[in-house]
Amino acid sequence: MDWSAIFGVSLFAAGLRLAMPTALAAVGECFCERAGVLNLGLEGMMLAGAFASFVGADYADSAAVGVAAGIGAGVALGAVMAFLSVYLKTEQVINGIAVVIFAQGLTAFAYEKLYGQSGASPQITPLSNVRIPGLASIPWLGPVLFEQNVLFYVALALTLGVWVLLYRTRFGLSVRAVGEAPAAADAAAVHVDRVRWLALLVCGGMAGLGGAVLVVGQLSLFNVGITAGRGWVAIALVIFGRWNPLLVLGGALLFGLTDALQLRIQASSGGINASVPYELFQALPYLVTLAVMVAATVRSRRNAQPSALGVPFTKGVSQ
Amino acid sequence: MNGQSTQDREDTVKHSALRKISLALVALVVAAAASAALAKPASHTDSAAVQKKVKVGLLLPCAINDHTWCQAAYSAAVRLQKEGAIDLKYTSNAPFDTAAVSQLMAQYAQRGYQLVIGHSAWQDAAFSAAGRFPKTAFAYAGGGKVANNVATYEEPIYQVAYLAGILAGGITKTGVVGGLAGQDIPLCHAELQAFIRGAKTVRSNVRGLSAYIGDWSDVAKAKEAALAQADSKADVFIACGDGPSQGMIQALKERKLSGFGYVGNQNSLAPKNMVGSLVYKLYPLFKLMVQDTAQGKFIPAKDYDVGLKSFQLVLNSKYSQAKVPAKVMAQMKSAQKRIATGELKVPYIAK
Repeated sequence: MDWSAIFGVSLFAAGLRLAMPTALAAVGECFCERAGVLNLGLEGMMLAGAFASFVGADYADSAAVGVAAGIGAGVALGAVMAFLSVYLKTEQVINGIAVVIFAQGLTAFAYEKLYGQSGASPQITPLSNVRIPGLASIPWLGPVLFEQNVLFYVALALTLGVWVLLYRTRFGLSVRAVGEAPAAADAAAVHVDRVRWLALLVCGGMAGLGGAVLVVGQLSLFNVGITAGRGWVAIALVIFGRWNPLLVLGGALLFGLTDALQLRIQASSGGINASVPYELFQALPYLVTLAVMVAATVRSRRNAQPSALGVPFTKGVSQ
Repeated sequence: MNGQSTQDREDTVKHSALRKISLALVALVVAAAASAALAKPASHTDSAAVQKKVKVGLLLPCAINDHTWCQAAYSAAVRLQKEGAIDLKYTSNAPFDTAAVSQLMAQYAQRGYQLVIGHSAWQDAAFSAAGRFPKTAFAYAGGGKVANNVATYEEPIYQVAYLAGILAGGITKTGVVGGLAGQDIPLCHAELQAFIRGAKTVRSNVRGLSAYIGDWSDVAKAKEAALAQADSKADVFIACGDGPSQGMIQALKERKLSGFGYVGNQNSLAPKNMVGSLVYKLYPLFKLMVQDTAQGKFIPAKDYDVGLKSFQLVLNSKYSQAKVPAKVMAQMKSAQKRIATGELKVPYIAK
């Protein structure tokens, strides 16, 4: 087996590409779960973002419009989720699943209606990669980190921004308080429902951007079900990252890297007649993530889950 | 509704239960409407159907504009409809699971559709629905078991993959060819094996790579898998599956490599990179089934197989044909003829 082909610069570049859409959604989910709302609609928000970004970029012939449309679609579904979970206080698990089914049906339907019979293949102009002068010439690190497309840097900045927001601002303190002890936060004059609304809009926007990164940033095409379960993986990564945006980002990167690694091992290991079953490689990202999570949980012992996660807050009613 | 919600806010405890129930209902309605949209995004019926037309129900697991699997079946059915042979109703983006598919098939049968075609490896679903409607003709794709009123139609992609392999053997500079599939199902395995086998007839030391994505719609991961194979020197590619083929094409464009389209004519998706496409021609297969249904000869059901008439290698005229040596092209054409006459048998290596 050719190990240099597996552990090359391109492995890390591929790992980052695979990780970024999921990372964005996962950090968004982390934010709204810290505010006490379980958003299972994440996959639907990513999918809607992916589709809207494609339509936007196609009709306006501009990647920027596409990205904006993707974020907008995510925010819109975030608002639907907030309306159901925060305003109406209905069961969050059901709301989330309804949002996913709704987005899957709507995108498949609209894609067929909008592009159904056109013989030409709808493809949008891809975003070109940005080469950061100076930094990109650093051997090894340069090609991995400083030759990505612009959405990669936006995504990275956003995920770091969420950490700053949560831990270094007054608003972040409110978010965390609302997720841990909404009654206490309420007594301290924090508007619980308003914070949760905002958290869900941010989460939806980030998931929508995740979908847009996939479509506008990487593939320049849309396909029904293109997010392929990334939203669900993202929800798992929040638990993996113990509700800390930086650890969640780390988890997404680990998952993406292992995924890139297994694809490379498949490519190098004897092809179609490989003696090792390919399913083993496919399971690798899940196994590694699970192993790290178990180790981390055993080591820290403390439950990191926000105490009020999934519990609607009603003023004046003891929880 | 507005006045009521103002009241609710004043008397939250009393009304919250009622509000919860009503809104859970709203959520359910939204979900139901969405799943209805998912199950039946588009349906067309010709209201002025002539009696003699065969009523055909077509179930597709993907979108009618996917440039590959579902589009191939849909366009074949539409052609029969335009010819006046059938009265078509279809369901696109149908669910994958056996229970839901057999339910959809049964619904078509119940509404009087004479021939219900499930365009996927839906053997179990077809058998389950066929047991309840013994007079309706059912068919599923890809070969397998056949019973009284359940037929199947073959997808001899491996034969065409062999022809593509011959061209690949002539095109490859590195001597490495790549292959991507959603999962290691017999159909894909046989396709990839035949591709490598074909390439070896031109260049005996060709090495074949293969990767399984684990998903049929994950275009991004398929693209990364193709890039990984390109890093391992592969320069001519083949794919099996909707997502894998789309991802492969994106990788080909990025790295300026060559490849073959899957099931639909995907040549226009990357005119500079596609040598050709392995195109599934479902028209002759559907036509045979429709004729048999019209003449009451569908039962006992058969395994419909028309060989290379149902699968063709459609070359891309915009691809630089200079990259394919004339000798290799001639070798491919001769193999094509010998497969058609039955003189050459491409082995079906399912595992």
